[in-house]
Amino acid sequence: MMSGSIPLAVCYGLLAIFVVAFLIRSLKIARLPLHLRWELAPVPKEKGRGRYGGSYLEEFEWWKKPREESLVAEVAYMLEEIVFLKALWAHNRRLWWFSYPFHIGLYLLVLAAFGGVLASGMAAVGVAGLGWGILPKWIVWVAGVGYVLTALGALGLLASRLADPKLRLITTPVALFNLVLVLAVAVTGALAVTTVPGSAVDAVAFGRALLTAGPVPHMAGVLTAHLILAMAFLAYLPFSQMMHFVAKYFTYHQVRWDDRPLERGGAMEREMQKLLQQPVTWAAEHVHADGRKNWVDIATEEVPR
Amino acid sequence: MSGRVRIKDIGLRGDQPLAEIDTDELIPLPPPYDNPGGTIQELKPDAAERMVCNLDGVVALSLPHPESPEEERALVDHFAEGLKKLFTRENNWSFLQPLTLAMEYCVGCQTCSDACHVFKASGQEIYRPTYRSEVWRRLVKKYAKPNGKLMAPLTGADVDLNWTTISRLYELAYRCNLCRRCAQVCPIGVDNGLIAHELRKLFSQELGWAPRELHEQGTVLQLQVGSSTGMNQVLVKDNVEFIDEDMTDETGIEVTTPWDKEGADVLLIHNAGEIMSWPENPGAFAIILNAAGIDWTLASEGIEYDGVNYGLFYDDVQLARIALKHVSAAKKLGVKKIVMGECGHQHKAIMTVADRILTGELRDVKRVSCLPLLEEIVFSGKIEFDPSKNDFPVTLHDPCNIVRNLGIVEPQRRILRYLCPQFREMTPHGVDNYCCGGGSGFAVMSGNNFTDWRVAVAGRMKFKQILDAFADQPGPEVKKYVCAPCSNCKGQIRDMLQYWGALEKSGITYGGLVELIVNAMVDVKEPFIKWEMH
Repeated sequence: MMSGSIPLAVCYGLLAIFVVAFLIRSLKIARLPLHLRWELAPVPKEKGRGRYGGSYLEEFEWWKKPREESLVAEVAYMLEEIVFLKALWAHNRRLWWFSYPFHIGLYLLVLAAFGGVLASGMAAVGVAGLGWGILPKWIVWVAGVGYVLTALGALGLLASRLADPKLRLITTPVALFNLVLVLAVAVTGALAVTTVPGSAVDAVAFGRALLTAGPVPHMAGVLTAHLILAMAFLAYLPFSQMMHFVAKYFTYHQVRWDDRPLERGGAMEREMQKLLQQPVTWAAEHVHADGRKNWVDIATEEVPR
Repeated sequence: MSGRVRIKDIGLRGDQPLAEIDTDELIPLPPPYDNPGGTIQELKPDAAERMVCNLDGVVALSLPHPESPEEERALVDHFAEGLKKLFTRENNWSFLQPLTLAMEYCVGCQTCSDACHVFKASGQEIYRPTYRSEVWRRLVKKYAKPNGKLMAPLTGADVDLNWTTISRLYELAYRCNLCRRCAQVCPIGVDNGLIAHELRKLFSQELGWAPRELHEQGTVLQLQVGSSTGMNQVLVKDNVEFIDEDMTDETGIEVTTPWDKEGADVLLIHNAGEIMSWPENPGAFAIILNAAGIDWTLASEGIEYDGVNYGLFYDDVQLARIALKHVSAAKKLGVKKIVMGECGHQHKAIMTVADRILTGELRDVKRVSCLPLLEEIVFSGKIEFDPSKNDFPVTLHDPCNIVRNLGIVEPQRRILRYLCPQFREMTPHGVDNYCCGGGSGFAVMSGNNFTDWRVAVAGRMKFKQILDAFADQPGPEVKKYVCAPCSNCKGQIRDMLQYWGALEKSGITYGGLVELIVNAMVDVKEPFIKWEMH
């Protein structure tokens, strides 16, 4: 069996790209300016109304009553979406059969990765050895199932993208590359788990090396390939469309479900007043922009009657 | 253009349509509307010489050809500039976050396609919510991102920016009703309706291109004269006086509409189209509000008698100008609250979309839908009702701007369940409803053969829903009522029922909610609802 090792600098480089790029891209979305209200029913947090899509605007003189919101209903909606991919189940069942194992597989891999980090951390501080308790065994099982589900899902999605004309219509080379990359990570992972004896112990040793900047152990070739691919995937992730799991937070919480009215004297009003001071450069004649007039000037100008 | 349409085809072979609509291939309707399944008038032979008609054999916008290659180049360059401006804080803070999310995170699962009534009715690739969005996305990637052209082979950004692309894209931006049903089902929350909206904005705010009915005859006329109907302050008061007299004669109840009453509790703002086309609607409002003892008024200041705000559909600048005028005049009059009449886009424009630009003292004027007010009145006991007067089949159309976009779902239903013994829902309904096909300004757009398209294609799912709701009594001998508490929806449903001859063939007519309320009033002796097409 071939074997290999990975230079620590490469590992740190790839992981650093992941962390920094992930934070920058997430913050970039979060820091986009306050937008006009663009809510879309159903808004599940609307207590007693969210289930049928109602909102507080159903109340006459709603401003005289306290806003009643249900965190439980909101969290329940989110869990259904995250755990079961409910929207896809309800509206695109055919794709769900591939997308669901793909995503569940990824969730399991994230869980296994956390387990791996935990085990590596304990090994690093000397609390436990590399084969400590049941953790590595547990990680192997979770990761193994995760690899298989992810690979099956990725294969299904890839086949759908290539065979289904309506998906092919908007499939780009990058979208195919993303699926192939995930497939490669999953397949090498599955091979490592099934063909390399003690792969979990090796992986934990690798994790300990990362945490302590100690020497990277010599590992089986397929495990080495898997770890390099996994870290390359992480480094690439923030630059790809696969960041949609972060975007989804914003599309739901800051667009669809953001039905907060502006309050006089509040922070939102202050932010809005700043935004309205920005100069406008739209070129159409009726806008009357000259690059100096701001939104207030333009919106309040009198039209000759 | 034959064969399956690809995304990049939008910029190729500009001398022929990208797609052709065959009405025989549209989703079938039940008898007697199945043969023929609708017709779309062919464009006149010289149409292609006078204007661009290279999308689908339908022309909504009458875009003229550029007079020279230089002009063509300048327009294309202008578009490219606008594409970049959409992503700047200064020019588009208003929708930058939802737009960026829609730009970058669509995974191309096509879940939205089956949610779209236009695609579902036609099966046309170019009407998929993602088709328009993906064209735009590829243009942004190639022409508005650093190294876009270099990276194009990898990113799949294969759409060329040329006259053919922008002229087709302009027309295609007006094949979406902006109903946002597609956004509702998107697993990621991507909003293809918003992309169509932003494209319209780009064309309007950068190139000065917009449908005449929405711009010159819409927002511009409203800001100049006071109303997109062309009515000035004098004319509107005269018209309402006539309506009061008619209502008094018809119902035997003295009807008077108060004007410009300072400090009134309620300022009612109608879509002025109601006053012109459906006078029984403002008349019914007056009867109900007077009977309930509401302290209310209409206002004639500025544009205050017309709640229309077509800026919502195509131009943020015009949207803001009109919304600010509406609320400023209400503040000046000292009223406590603005109540929206039965007009969906007016609800959305004033109550939510413009909410955050209404700062300072403009917050003093509250804004509320007429539907909860009507619910309060109907169940207050102040008016005596006899629901048996409404004992005919009634179904409810949910205006997207009131229901899906504002979440006002139940007040109108509670009224109908109480006052209409034969009320039945459409399938689907509530926030899952289908758009009537007249949304986003289409109901007032009728250039060339566009009316045929919006009725036969965009309105098809709604017409099918209406027929299905009355399937237990399909014949014309049973009179049936489609309740549509929205002016633009009523305009579309009127055109639809006329196009199909549905009053004669199926006994179906339409109207608002207040007409049903007045029809059930014990004090109104004669039937208020007329079984005629109006």
